[in-house]
Amino acid sequence: MFFLKEETKIISLHPSYFGPNMREYLIARLNEEEEGRCTGDHFVICVMDMVDIGEGRVMPSSGHAEYTIKYRAIIWKPFRGETVDAIVTSVKPTGIFTLAGPLSVFIARKNIPSDIKWEPNTVPPQYTDHADQVIEKGTSLRLKILGVKPDVAAINAIGTIKEDYLG
Amino acid sequence: MLLRLPPSLHYPITVTSLLKQPGDSIERDEALFWYIYETTVIEGDGLGNKIEVQRRFPTRFESTVDGEIVQWKVTKGDIIDEPVDIVEIDEPCAHEVQFGGLCAECGKDMTESSYNTEIMDSMRAPIQMTHDNTTLTVSEKEAARVEEDAKRRLLASRRLSLVVDLDQTIIHATVDPTVGEWKEDKDNPNHEALKNVRQFQLIDDGPGMRGCWYYIKLRPGLEQFLENVAELFELHIYTMGTRAYAQNIADIIDPTRKLFGDRILSRDESGSLTAKNLQRLFPVDTKMVVIIDDRGDVWRWNPNLIKVSPYDFFIGIGDINSSFLPEKQDIGATNKSLPTSAEKEKEKKKKDKKEHHVNGATMKAEGETEVSALEQLVTMGGGDNPRLLQEQTNAQEETIMHQVEDRPLLQKQKELDAEDEVAESSEDSSSVDEAHDPNKHRHHLLEDHDQELYQLQDRLEKVHTQFFDEYDKKRTHALGGRVAALRGEKIPSKDKDVDLKLVPDVKDIMPQIKRQALGRVVLVFSGVLPLGSDAQNADISLWAKSFGVVIASKINIRTTHLVAGRNRTAKVREATRYPNVKIVTTQWLLDSLVQWQHLDEEPYLVPVHPDDRGEPISPTSQEVAEGTWLSSGDEGTGSFWTEDEGGNTPDMFKSAGFNETSPIGYDEDEQAAVHDELKEFLGSDDESESDNEALTEESTMTSKKRKRGEGSEEGGDDELTGEDGDETDLRGSRLSQRIKRSYERSTGLREVATATGSAADEPLSKLPRPTGPDDEEPDAEAAGARRGQELSYPEDPAEDDDELEREMLAAFEDGDYDSAAEEEAAAENG
Repeated sequence: MFFLKEETKIISLHPSYFGPNMREYLIARLNEEEEGRCTGDHFVICVMDMVDIGEGRVMPSSGHAEYTIKYRAIIWKPFRGETVDAIVTSVKPTGIFTLAGPLSVFIARKNIPSDIKWEPNTVPPQYTDHADQVIEKGTSLRLKILGVKPDVAAINAIGTIKEDYLG
Repeated sequence: MLLRLPPSLHYPITVTSLLKQPGDSIERDEALFWYIYETTVIEGDGLGNKIEVQRRFPTRFESTVDGEIVQWKVTKGDIIDEPVDIVEIDEPCAHEVQFGGLCAECGKDMTESSYNTEIMDSMRAPIQMTHDNTTLTVSEKEAARVEEDAKRRLLASRRLSLVVDLDQTIIHATVDPTVGEWKEDKDNPNHEALKNVRQFQLIDDGPGMRGCWYYIKLRPGLEQFLENVAELFELHIYTMGTRAYAQNIADIIDPTRKLFGDRILSRDESGSLTAKNLQRLFPVDTKMVVIIDDRGDVWRWNPNLIKVSPYDFFIGIGDINSSFLPEKQDIGATNKSLPTSAEKEKEKKKKDKKEHHVNGATMKAEGETEVSALEQLVTMGGGDNPRLLQEQTNAQEETIMHQVEDRPLLQKQKELDAEDEVAESSEDSSSVDEAHDPNKHRHHLLEDHDQELYQLQDRLEKVHTQFFDEYDKKRTHALGGRVAALRGEKIPSKDKDVDLKLVPDVKDIMPQIKRQALGRVVLVFSGVLPLGSDAQNADISLWAKSFGVVIASKINIRTTHLVAGRNRTAKVREATRYPNVKIVTTQWLLDSLVQWQHLDEEPYLVPVHPDDRGEPISPTSQEVAEGTWLSSGDEGTGSFWTEDEGGNTPDMFKSAGFNETSPIGYDEDEQAAVHDELKEFLGSDDESESDNEALTEESTMTSKKRKRGEGSEEGGDDELTGEDGDETDLRGSRLSQRIKRSYERSTGLREVATATGSAADEPLSKLPRPTGPDDEEPDAEAAGARRGQELSYPEDPAEDDDELEREMLAAFEDGDYDSAAEEEAAAENG
């Protein structure tokens, strides 16, 4: 699910950047460092705007300036039960690996409808019901998230396509 | 699953009541039953005293799993003394496939643990079995099921699995930018050879290596090879390169992904950076798997392995991804058969240079060959050590930087050009060279004449045919039996009868084929392995042993081949006395191993120096010697001479041989002089003594020769002593026995020398005389401790010395030993 969240971040700036373009530089730094980041709990999709840059404080001993920046960002936190669209990255006899944006989702064989079978002899290998449904690398899938496990810098999730309107 | 009591309870326990009935559902940490246990506790008695009392405590037992109770294995009132199964619970999900710490089937977190957790749920699926993902793990059951499916499929299409290594097996890669320049430069002598070198750029290759270009040379005939082999095998890539590297290579060799699909395993997923493990890909059963790789050690000489000769196109580059692997034992130095001493000098210089400008970690420069087994173990074990890992990573980065900056190829070509000018005048001197020496490539460094893949294809086809022949045989047999048992009932249809129990094992079939080729070979190395290395565990020995070749350390009647790195070693000379021993170059062994054939030895025979051939023993005495040798070798005390002595002598022989061929100290003239002297020495013997004594001569002469080599080595003595010291540790009393014997022999020689008195006028004053106490073996010290008992030690049973002589000998030894011991003591004190 997507949220608009207000967060703060401390950026320390080297003295060589002190000058008229400091603000632009801070924005660029913020965007570079935050967008696409995974906190382990959610993904930062996009930095919307800065609420407050705050006053820079020059640190003793190094001369760096520290800015405490408040900003708003669109984040995505995947939840159990959420339905997402994903693209298949690889298919294995044990299941299907997919990517829903930044989130890697695995669909185990048990969570694939039983009429869709593993077919290793084709190139590339695929899951198919020998009719019009073929799941191979690059296929788009709609899946439901069964479980989410936050990690240090990534989130792993388990999905299923064994329900109505999924697949 | 069956729930078992943990061992941590206070046994014995008494079950007092069961809280759930079969059919009830139960959640984790929900109470299953009550029990009481008894223990001693300290209580106050109300008067301030502490007393120990026995108390019974009622406790609940909580379930560690979810599910529905199927059946109780215990009843109310049971007294349980040890961990037993108590209840069968039907779990809704056995968590057999897990992804990143989640059960892939029910989505539960597997890494959760509580006070009640005994075995983490994540341990239920410990096996990684996908090529390109390490987060997906499966249970053994699931792995077996998947593998079984795969096997059925392969059998149905009559294919096997083939695990293919990349670097130096099917391709050769370098990052030397010189290659790119040569490729562009039409005038460069190497332009022709580089025409079909492919290249790609890896951007995300870690700091310091941004956008480094990789140049890939495919092994000749690769495309055809892969295409043909893919019909017989399902191909997998297993490389020590990074994932990105492997993907790029796969794009080159298999652009449509028809051959490899996504069955690519790189070092990012391998789990170990120092060894390759077949269980990583085939956790349950490796019956139908064949491996091709240029390194046997990383697979620990797995029986499924077909070792191929490394593909070395960019000379001196080696394997760019081998920083993590244990260092390669190089027998390359001996590939160049019999280089003249001048060339040796040149080569040495080159080696020095190479070591200078190239990082040692990857460049297995021919100089750095001495890798002890221990060192290897340390490297292997260090794979998990993060610091070491970092070091190795740095080492690899450094190597790549070095290659980029120093351009070893360019240097080589420069050297080559310089050499060319020199070589014009002395054309003949370097024409002796064999294939791998860069000297041979007169005008351009890089040449492309590798035939390995064609031969490899034959071998793979052979294995495939044999495998399915065996399988068909077994299957028809089993089918017949089953049909008879069914008595005319419906015969199972053709497709269903893929019976996995009947699948033969590649591990049995390959050695069988290999044995057919070289099974009856017994060989001895001479001047092949570096001094002091273990002849049994060197790479080439292990490789040869996988063919059933027996590696002996001593030439005897059973020896069929002497593999000589140089001619003119002591063993070569010894081997000329056995008509059935073929003296061949290392190349013969390598080619035979590579081609799986007992090759004709003729083109590989080592030219034996005429001086060596005419061994100064008359044919009659030689025969007698051999006869008695054999008989004494087969029975009694002689047997430990043939076996144990061998362990020590090669080193001595080698040191002797080394000196004989090295430019300093012991040239042909001197050698001839030695032979003359020996002849004279023997001749006088033949006149005056009986055949038996000639035999004594014969055996003593070897030791004398050995001694001489050792003596002439001068500076090398320390090394030898050190080695002997090591051996003493290892071999203990056997060594000392051996020393005793060799001591005896040398004293025997002294005896004879005194009797005949003809060897007294040795012309070589610079070589220490074997008879003098000065050149006692350095380890005589050890033997000395046993001198006392040894006086009565019997001579070689073949020797028929009379009593008097023995007494004289004993007396002589006694005196001699005393002086030797005094000297030793003096040496130690001062």
